[in-house]
Amino acid sequence: MKLLTTLLAAVALTSAAMAKDIELLNVSYDPTRELYVDYNAAFSAYWKAKTGDTVIIKQSHGGSGKQARSVIDGLKADVVTLALAADVDAIYENARLLPQDWQKRLPNNSAPYTSTIVFLVRKGNPLNIKDWDDLVKKGVTIVTPNPKTSGGARWNYLAAWGYALKKYGSDDKAKEFVGKLFKNVPVLDSGARGATTTFVQRGIGDVAISWENEAYLAVKEFGADKFEIVVPSVSILAEPTVSVVDKVAKKKGTTEVAKAYLEYLYSDEGQEIAARNFYRPRNEQILAKYSANFAKIELFTIDDLFGGWAKAQKTHFADGGVFDEIYLKK
Amino acid sequence: MRTIPSAVRTALVTAITAVGLTTSTLHAQAASQDDLNALREQIRQLDQKLRALERNTEIKDETAAAEAKKQAKITFTDKGIGFTSADGANYLKLHGLVQVDNRSFVGGQAGPNNNDAFLIRRARLIFEGGFAKNYEYLIVPEFGGTSGNGTLTLLDAYINLNYNPQYQIRAGRFREPVGLEQLQSDAVAFFAERSVVSQFVPNRDIGVQLWGDLFNNTLGYAAGLFNGVPDGTSNGTNTDGNNDKNFAARLFAQPFKNDKDSFFAGLGFGVGGSIGKENNNAGGLTSSYKTDGQQTWFGYNAATTAAPVTSGAVANGNVSRISPQAYFYKGPVGLMAEYVVSSVEARNVRTTAPAATNKQQLQNTAWQVSAGYVLTGEDASYKGVTPATNFSFADGTWGAFEVVARVEHADIDDGAFAGPAATRLANINTSASGLTAYGVGLNWYLSKTVRASFDYFHTQFDLAPGAAPAPTAVIAHDENAFVTRLQLTF
Repeated sequence: MKLLTTLLAAVALTSAAMAKDIELLNVSYDPTRELYVDYNAAFSAYWKAKTGDTVIIKQSHGGSGKQARSVIDGLKADVVTLALAADVDAIYENARLLPQDWQKRLPNNSAPYTSTIVFLVRKGNPLNIKDWDDLVKKGVTIVTPNPKTSGGARWNYLAAWGYALKKYGSDDKAKEFVGKLFKNVPVLDSGARGATTTFVQRGIGDVAISWENEAYLAVKEFGADKFEIVVPSVSILAEPTVSVVDKVAKKKGTTEVAKAYLEYLYSDEGQEIAARNFYRPRNEQILAKYSANFAKIELFTIDDLFGGWAKAQKTHFADGGVFDEIYLKK
Repeated sequence: MRTIPSAVRTALVTAITAVGLTTSTLHAQAASQDDLNALREQIRQLDQKLRALERNTEIKDETAAAEAKKQAKITFTDKGIGFTSADGANYLKLHGLVQVDNRSFVGGQAGPNNNDAFLIRRARLIFEGGFAKNYEYLIVPEFGGTSGNGTLTLLDAYINLNYNPQYQIRAGRFREPVGLEQLQSDAVAFFAERSVVSQFVPNRDIGVQLWGDLFNNTLGYAAGLFNGVPDGTSNGTNTDGNNDKNFAARLFAQPFKNDKDSFFAGLGFGVGGSIGKENNNAGGLTSSYKTDGQQTWFGYNAATTAAPVTSGAVANGNVSRISPQAYFYKGPVGLMAEYVVSSVEARNVRTTAPAATNKQQLQNTAWQVSAGYVLTGEDASYKGVTPATNFSFADGTWGAFEVVARVEHADIDDGAFAGPAATRLANINTSASGLTAYGVGLNWYLSKTVRASFDYFHTQFDLAPGAAPAPTAVIAHDENAFVTRLQLTF
């Protein structure tokens, strides 16, 4: 017994001596700060219990497009958790830091949680905003970030376009509608968090087109006595995607833990954390548990109306695309 | 017809008037409220426009600041012109050095080849750069000196691999790590001309060297393999005269460097040396040793350069140098001292009658002690003096002044003059067996980039036994040389 105790102590000491400190850099989009504060603490505890290693996760946040550009230009991200697949695709196309088929590596096309686009208005909804059509009325000022730099802004734009396409039946009408919408936009922040700050703290605008999770966070943080959420009749299913940045992780020797970090987003704990931070979890049971947090809304996907991100990015957001035509004309 | 009683009429009129007045007041009030609301809305819209304007200005500034970080930086200072990439990993610095001298000899004692003259002593562009933080280079074309005769020379050209400041690898053409004064920058030495010691150590050579600074920069080391050059000369042919390579190494300690309160913080001492072999190499012996006035006071008898050598002195055997060295700087005071022994196995082979061989193991020695004092109080240092103010008539400032003094001595091994005249290694009538020189000078630092020097050197020659130099020979008289210089460096 004494020998066994001694042996066990020796093994424990040896393991402790061999335990490593590992650092990961998660380059994420703008509004996920609170989510990853909670998630990183949970993952670190999980990994420590499983392997004995200490994982320190550093975060970088900003407009999704800008963040992708930073990684392409050399920011040493072990993982990216960006607003949309097109930004992760850009990392492949411009720098080959991850494989072309990265999206197939994790469930649900590497989108562990979803969100949608809603409206955040001032308490009392003084302009009586109910749906997308109200946003294009004269005298309504809208806050939405810049689609050239923000993934959230691209979801906003496509949500508006999709609404107009469904209602008015043609791309020309949709373009006209979105053009009118952007005429009512006085400020284009570079990221979704910046836009929320512009609306909530600077008091600019009558309505902010916002990530659903961002809108809920704003109401929670600043008070239901100041803001309320308006759910439009139809919106887009936003699918933020995640990936290991293979070449960086391999060079830093963090591939195993980076993979585990993203896989844990799909675990029950990861999905609970997402739901508590107002992201719609993929896990049906956990989604049902938090269903009161999420409005019932008719959602279309990017594949449904736009043929996927690659096509949407090229048509609308590439240099000289439809957004440039709309915005320059303004 | 019945009439309305007057009291009733009065009451009716009053009532109608009252109703009329009330109605018009209500209209007025309603109109005022509408105006007020319209005003409020206008103010709200103006407020929104103002906030949006402020926010857009902030976004523009943030974007401009982010873009500025991505731009390469260009700087233009007294340290040169610099181009640096946004991430700092790649850079190019352009420096320059121009020295315009006047050499004058008191008493018309210039030798046959050296008259009083103005000359461009040095004129060079210095390209210093680096890539990816670890790879550095230096390229220095020289337009002055002997190149001023129309031939551009390449002074330095090397690549430095710097993964760790303690262990760096340099390859190319650069100064061999031996002499203390020789390794000092051309722009910052005490005097316009280096001492005789620097002529007994190698100058620039082509090779590869491992070097670095250890123990918190208190010990510098360098060790390298080179083609091998004679005393005081540089490799100008891009070739090696034989297959053997020379090994050169140096250790230099500054043990109190990091203790700013220590009296000896500015003390440095060390030793440098080289060893190699020259095999019947006509180019293995120095072409000449020169005075401070740059006149030749010693030279080996010239060998025929085409192999096989049929006459003249050649290096043929071991070649080595050892040079203990030290400096001390404290406030405005600077001191430097060096000693060198330059050993060479040499011979003079004469194949034409009378055929003879004269082999000698020569040990030539030299030493120097220099001192400087910055009169205006700035700190002296191995890297030069930085004036606290610039010379300016308008501001009444004068820059910095430094007085300098030096004593130096060289001794040629008696073996250089041994044997019959036909096979001596050196000519006793044109080469001295030694010299002693004294120098005093004043350096005026007009700014960080401009320096004027005023130096006077007095040189006495020792002659070999039996020497009878011609009256016009350099070694026939003491040399009194004034060397003045105007220098621009950036």
